[in-house]
Amino acid sequence: MVDSANRATPRWWPRRRHNSYTVAPLILISVNLLLFLTFFVWPAIIGLAYSFTSYTGVGDAPWVGLENYRELIGDTDFYAALLRTLIYTACVVPLMFVMSLGIAYLLVSPYAKGKPIARVIFFLPWLISPIIAGVIWRWLFGENFGLVNFVITELGGDPVSWQSNGDLSLMIVVIVATWAGTAFNMLLFIAALKNVPVSYYEAADLDGANAWQKFRNITLPAIAPTSFIVVLLSTLHAMKEYTYFVAVNDGGPGTENNLIVQYIYETGFKRTQMGYASAASFVLLLILVIVAVLQLIASRRKGS
Amino acid sequence: MAASRSRTGDMPKKIGSSAIMWLLAALYGFPLLWFVVSSFKPGGELFSYPLTFWPKNPTLKGYTDAWTSFDFPGYLINTMIVAIAATLLTIMVSAACGYALAKYGNWWLKIFAGCILATTMLPTETILAPLFLVVRNLGLYNSLSGVVIPAVITATGTFMFRQFFVTVPNDLLEAARIDGSSELSTFFRIMLPLSRPIVLTLAIFSFQWRWNEYLWPLIILNEPSQFTLQIGIAGIVGANNVNWSILISASVLSMVPLVAIYLVFQKYVMNADINAGLKD
Amino acid sequence: MGISASARKGWLAASVVGALVLGACSSGSGSGDGDPKGITFWFSTSAQDKGYTELAKEFEAKEGIKVEIVNVPYDGYQDKLSQAAQANALPDTASVPSLDPLWVNQVQDLASIANNEANKINKNLITADGDKVLSIPSDITAAGLYINKSLFDKAGVSFPTDPAQTWTWTDFLAATTKVREATNAKYDLVYDNSAARIRGWIYTHGGTGFQLGADGRFAAPDAATVQALSEFSKINDDKVMPKSVWTSGQDPNALFKSGQVVAYYSGVWQVADFADSITDFEWASVPSPAQPTHATDINLGGKMVAFNNGEKAEPAKKWLDFIFQPANYTKLAQTNGYLPIETGLTLTYPFEKKAAQDAFALYIKEIELADPISSSGQANQTKLLLAKQKVEDALIKTEMAKFINGEQDVQKTVDAIVSGLNDQIK
Repeated sequence: MVDSANRATPRWWPRRRHNSYTVAPLILISVNLLLFLTFFVWPAIIGLAYSFTSYTGVGDAPWVGLENYRELIGDTDFYAALLRTLIYTACVVPLMFVMSLGIAYLLVSPYAKGKPIARVIFFLPWLISPIIAGVIWRWLFGENFGLVNFVITELGGDPVSWQSNGDLSLMIVVIVATWAGTAFNMLLFIAALKNVPVSYYEAADLDGANAWQKFRNITLPAIAPTSFIVVLLSTLHAMKEYTYFVAVNDGGPGTENNLIVQYIYETGFKRTQMGYASAASFVLLLILVIVAVLQLIASRRKGS
Repeated sequence: MAASRSRTGDMPKKIGSSAIMWLLAALYGFPLLWFVVSSFKPGGELFSYPLTFWPKNPTLKGYTDAWTSFDFPGYLINTMIVAIAATLLTIMVSAACGYALAKYGNWWLKIFAGCILATTMLPTETILAPLFLVVRNLGLYNSLSGVVIPAVITATGTFMFRQFFVTVPNDLLEAARIDGSSELSTFFRIMLPLSRPIVLTLAIFSFQWRWNEYLWPLIILNEPSQFTLQIGIAGIVGANNVNWSILISASVLSMVPLVAIYLVFQKYVMNADINAGLKD
Repeated sequence: MGISASARKGWLAASVVGALVLGACSSGSGSGDGDPKGITFWFSTSAQDKGYTELAKEFEAKEGIKVEIVNVPYDGYQDKLSQAAQANALPDTASVPSLDPLWVNQVQDLASIANNEANKINKNLITADGDKVLSIPSDITAAGLYINKSLFDKAGVSFPTDPAQTWTWTDFLAATTKVREATNAKYDLVYDNSAARIRGWIYTHGGTGFQLGADGRFAAPDAATVQALSEFSKINDDKVMPKSVWTSGQDPNALFKSGQVVAYYSGVWQVADFADSITDFEWASVPSPAQPTHATDINLGGKMVAFNNGEKAEPAKKWLDFIFQPANYTKLAQTNGYLPIETGLTLTYPFEKKAAQDAFALYIKEIELADPISSSGQANQTKLLLAKQKVEDALIKTEMAKFINGEQDVQKTVDAIVSGLNDQIK
């Protein structure tokens, strides 16, 4: 599926010779295959079966066919949640990408000073649990007694409604999620950047290339496989984001910022509608498959 | 001559890079600083207004209460066992699978790559109840292995290795084949050592994942003697009340081992220049 | 290749260690049952650890049965219980947030404890199916009002202290507004974002809230309820109340602790926290306003159950019997700060702060005076449980948040709540 980079690399040996290697790759993937079948496919099939019933978590599960799916397709709240999810993803993925690549680049560059301490600072937010992150950021951006509003009013301005304005509160979560998630992507980028041969840069230096040219023409192409996977995983993750919305603003104001997964929890699990929640989850799965395929196509087109 | 020119030319770069990095570090670090400083505040100061940054009456009470509110050392050891076991298994499984996906062209591998990615696509809650049934049926309920084994498969880890091995030139593999090395031995002997930065990076990830995992261990484990750190910390959050001063201190404490692991592993990632020469 | 040879050795070592660690994990599970004569007791909230641990020690000394006290975090406790039921791994005894139809058939009859005259247990609050007593509450909780006494004193505004002569919401809000303006505080009131606390608001405004009808389904609420909810939304105006609590999950406890909010409607469980962590100002518990009904929301702290776990069933029941013997229960209630389920006890709570002592005395009076409707939320839950129904009422918060945020009007809110509750009934 995710094959973009493979295409870019020229095949060294003829295709027909692949057939002679069946046992080795099978052994190499065997453990993952077994785990996949046991801990994903098996439970997923049970979940899929629930989605065709009106199961409430207790007692029997009466078969209702496609009723849950029909109800879901007719639910305008679902589309509102989907739209909000797409907006969030479109904001957080690029921001996260730029921040984590930028910081990774600085941390491996020979020029920046004080890297050992900075490295820890960028890493720590990723360790903080969402509930604590919620308190920290409400302390900063709470609209009632938050630090930012405190400073604004001290300077004579009007307090900003960071929480009761739907778009602002979405932006706060974008910032929180970026703050917390940078470390993860940053580490992926650091590993990739360390892998770019130094000789490429030395050659470019001889050609008199400036820093930006080197970054554009050497670094970016060399880390393309990692960039692709960062974008793909961040997108899939963002489409499922839920914890930070709950921790910071409880999906608020109201239900304006209930993304898809929170919608599934609120209308499904929290109302003991296991069947409906499962149906919505499989629709989400379908949407994510489409998103992944679209990204794959986009990256292939770019590659060729 | 050349050396002196490059040194003077480096100065603006050094200042510029350092300035940008420290500006970002300040932005990222400020909320953290509040967090750490607050762990020394007594409960009465945490939410007082007007806002104060530094504690007026700094105290270690949050820390001592956190340490005694549950069996901190015992839970720490359990968490360590889970994290180490899961990390070792995750790395081996992901490396093998990622390598297969990168270096063999069989059609079913492409499908399997998609399957691995699909594991990230269902919300946790949806899969939780059915997954529990599976784990129970396998007899893994109420044991640490019930926490570890389902966690071993990870799309992130698998694809980290896949994307890495894609950049390793195929002639290296072909040369090993000509030398008569078997496929699996090539993987273990040549490829795995090459991927050391990925191994260490994934180890950091896996440690963090297992360290902060909460709901699954809570459901699977019944004996307090097997509880993990996050279960202990979550116990501080009550139905109607949260004792913030203990919670914040306990969180700081629980992060210390992770930072230590990160610093050690990161050092090796940073020093991993050995394979750079292989690339051209 | 020197590097790879040593690396390979490293990998071999790593796999051996991994296998060993895993082996250690699985062998650990064998020791699950522990002491054959011991029983387990699950509860939630670490603040209650002490009372149970001390009682367990006395119980072991007396009966020779060891009780393992397990603090299960509140978040996920219900999930854990239902999964444990499916794995036949329920504890021997527990204090649970609510009974679940999934495992309620596995609890023992506690009638002998509940009906023991010496215990004087308030029988209105036990959960019973006919003659079978399914659970006895560990304690009673009630919703109630707190004020920032320092602000009231500073503004020279008085407040009632005797629940028999309480104020109306109109008087109360007039008083808080006066205090807020005189002291430059930010808000009159913060109100817990909770389906149970909003019941207190409805009852005190003369409404009956969301009640089960004769057909076992939720009926449309009366006009007073609809009116009360409208009123509630109206005072979420960022002057009387900050909007962020009910629409954006802001923590009202933290807002009250800032000292910038005149009053806080929450419940008795805050007393211990306030006694400990409010140091910048004086606070006090005051009677709930009545407009016209004098009511609160009476709830149960934890529900004590004993499970039918074979040979552990008998010691399990013994342990609960021990807990509810008046002398032992007195100790538990004092240590854990419980409003007692047993009557006629003389309790001295270990608080140094007078405000905390007064608060408990006030809550006990409030419960005595409260209109019977105050415990109807609890009664509805029992009815649903006996009908094998599982109904979550968290959706009341969501629908109210939509209402206050201007996404829907009051009628639509009420309709959505009723249909949302009824959708869960099979």
